[in-house]
Amino acid sequence: MSVAAIPADRRLAVEALLDDYVQALDGDRLEDWPELFLEDGLYKVVSRENVALGLPAPLVYYYSRGMMRDRVTAIRDALTFEPLYIRHLVSGPRISGGDGAWNARSNFAIFQTSEEGRTRRYAVGEYCDRIVDTRQGLRFAERIVTLDSFAVYNLIAVPL
Amino acid sequence: MADLDALPQQWPTDDFTRIPYRLFRDEAVYRREQQRLFAGPHWNYLCIEAELPAPGDFLVSYVGERQVVVQRTEDGEITAFLNSCAHRGAQLVRCLRGNATSHTCAYHQWCFGTHGELIGVPQQRGVKGAGGMPKDFDKQSHGLRMLRVESYKGLIFATFSEEAPSIYDYLGPSIRPEIDRIFDRPVKVLGYYRQLVPANWKLYLENVKDPYHAGLLHLFHVTFGIYRPTMSGRVTMDSTKGHSILRTADIGEENAEVTSVYAGIDKYREDYRLNDPSLFDVAPDYDDRVTNMIMTIFPNLMLGQVANTFQTRHVRPKGLREFELYWTYLGFEGEDAEATEGKLRQSNFIGPAGYISLEDGEAGRLVQIGVDRRDPEDCSIVQMGGRGPIEDQDTLATEVALRGFWKHYAEAMDMPAAGIAT
Repeated sequence: MSVAAIPADRRLAVEALLDDYVQALDGDRLEDWPELFLEDGLYKVVSRENVALGLPAPLVYYYSRGMMRDRVTAIRDALTFEPLYIRHLVSGPRISGGDGAWNARSNFAIFQTSEEGRTRRYAVGEYCDRIVDTRQGLRFAERIVTLDSFAVYNLIAVPL
Repeated sequence: MADLDALPQQWPTDDFTRIPYRLFRDEAVYRREQQRLFAGPHWNYLCIEAELPAPGDFLVSYVGERQVVVQRTEDGEITAFLNSCAHRGAQLVRCLRGNATSHTCAYHQWCFGTHGELIGVPQQRGVKGAGGMPKDFDKQSHGLRMLRVESYKGLIFATFSEEAPSIYDYLGPSIRPEIDRIFDRPVKVLGYYRQLVPANWKLYLENVKDPYHAGLLHLFHVTFGIYRPTMSGRVTMDSTKGHSILRTADIGEENAEVTSVYAGIDKYREDYRLNDPSLFDVAPDYDDRVTNMIMTIFPNLMLGQVANTFQTRHVRPKGLREFELYWTYLGFEGEDAEATEGKLRQSNFIGPAGYISLEDGEAGRLVQIGVDRRDPEDCSIVQMGGRGPIEDQDTLATEVALRGFWKHYAEAMDMPAAGIAT
C-alpha cells in the first residue's frame, strides 16, 4: 500500500504515538513509556553489527509491558548511572499498512547532556515499529531499535 | 621514563594493600604496559576457535592497543599477525571479519600468505627494464610480524614473546578446571557487545576481581538472588596470583540472614517483586548451583557466567583513560531453541544495557574521575579480607584477588614492592 493511501488522520495518529514516546523519555516521564506498548508488546535493542552477522543476541529484550515497568522501577530505585538530560532527534517516519496496523520506520539520534551542560552524541540508529489500534488508542506491538553506534558510550540505562 | 624510575618506591606497602592512583593516570605507566604486559611474556586472548570454523576464516582482534589478525590457515592451523604491511606499514586487512587465503595491501598490492609469508611484489623486476627492487631483495625475509598462537579448550591466545610458557602452563592447574567446566561442550557465538568505558583498563580488572562490591553496587541481582554476600563463595588464584576465579553458589540461605547483612542499606528492598519474572525462569545449563563465576586471565581477559549467560569479555585498552569492553556472548552448539531463547532473555543481565553490568561501566567512570582529582602520591585501600599473605579465601567479603593482580602486575612491570617474595 502506498504512503499516500493512508488517511491523514491515521498518519497523524501514528506520528503522535512516535512523539509521545520521545516526550516520555526526553521529559523524564519514564513511567509513561511502558504504557505506549501492548501488554505483550516487544521492545528490543539490537546492534547493527550483530544484525549484519545474523547473530541473535539483543542488547535489550523485553517482551511484556511488565518487563518494561520493571526496567523503570530499576532505573528509579536500583540502578547506578550518571544523571543526564537526553534529547531525541527523530526523522519523519516512513509509514505503511492500514486496517488498524501500521509499520513505521524512522531514524534517530540521541544526545546526552551532563548536569554541567556538556552535550555529547550518544546514539544513532533506526526505529522499526509495528503499531496497532486499540480501544485506548494506538500502541506499539513492537519497537525494534537498531543501534548503529553499537560501541556504546559507557552504558544504556534509560531506554533508547 | 625518568618518572617511572620512582615508581618502585611508590608502593607504600609490600603486601599490595595500597595501590598508587598514578597507575591509572600516568602516560609513562601506560606506555610501559604496552611493552611489558602486551609485548611481554604473557598470553593475550584473541577470540574463540568457533569464530574461525573454516580454512581462510579470519578476524581482527587486539593485543593491547595493537591490532592483530587471527586466521585459520588452509591446513586448519591458527596463525596471527600484526595488521601492518611489511612494506610501508599500511593497515593490511581492512575489514573485521572475512575469509581469504592471502591478504593484499591496498597501497602497492604486496601480497601475503596465511603464515605471513610475502608472496608477491608487483614490479619487483621493474617496468620496461627500468626500476624495480634491488636484485638481492629476498621476499623470504620480508614477511609479516607473526605472533605465537596457542589455544586451550577453544580459547585462542597469542603473544609477541618467545619467553612465555605454553598456554597450558600459563593458565595452570587452579584455573584450567574451571575452563574445562564451562567448555565441556562445543560453543557458538550468539552475538557481540561493545562498551566504551571512560576509565583506565585496569579499573575493570579490579572491578571483576572484587566480590565485595557485587552485593553493594548491584542491588538488582542481590534482590533477585543471583548474587548475595551470604551465598557460598570462594576466591581462587593461580600460583602467580595474576589469574583468579570468583565463584558463588546458591545454597538456599535464609532470607533473614540476607536482611541482617543489609541492615542500614536503604537500597536493598526486601519487598521488591518483578512484574514479569520470566527472565529468571530458565533451566540452568549446569546442575552445580553456581549462579555466578567470574574468571580473569592476566592481563586482560574475563570469562564469566552470570546465571545462564556465558561470555568472554576482552578488555581492550584505547589509551590511558578509555577501554573497549568487547563481549562475545556464547551459547552451546546443538542446544535446543528453548535453551537459546533463555539465553537471549538473560541477555538483559549482561552487556552495556544489562541490569548488572551497566553499573560496572559506571563504577569505572566514577573511579577514574575521582582518582584524577587526587594528589599523585595518594593510594586506594585494598584490605577487605585482611593484610599479609595473598591466599585463596572462602568468603565474598574480600578484595584479596585485587592484591593478587597487583602483585603479579608489579612483577610483570618490573616495579616490585620492597620485600615482596617473587
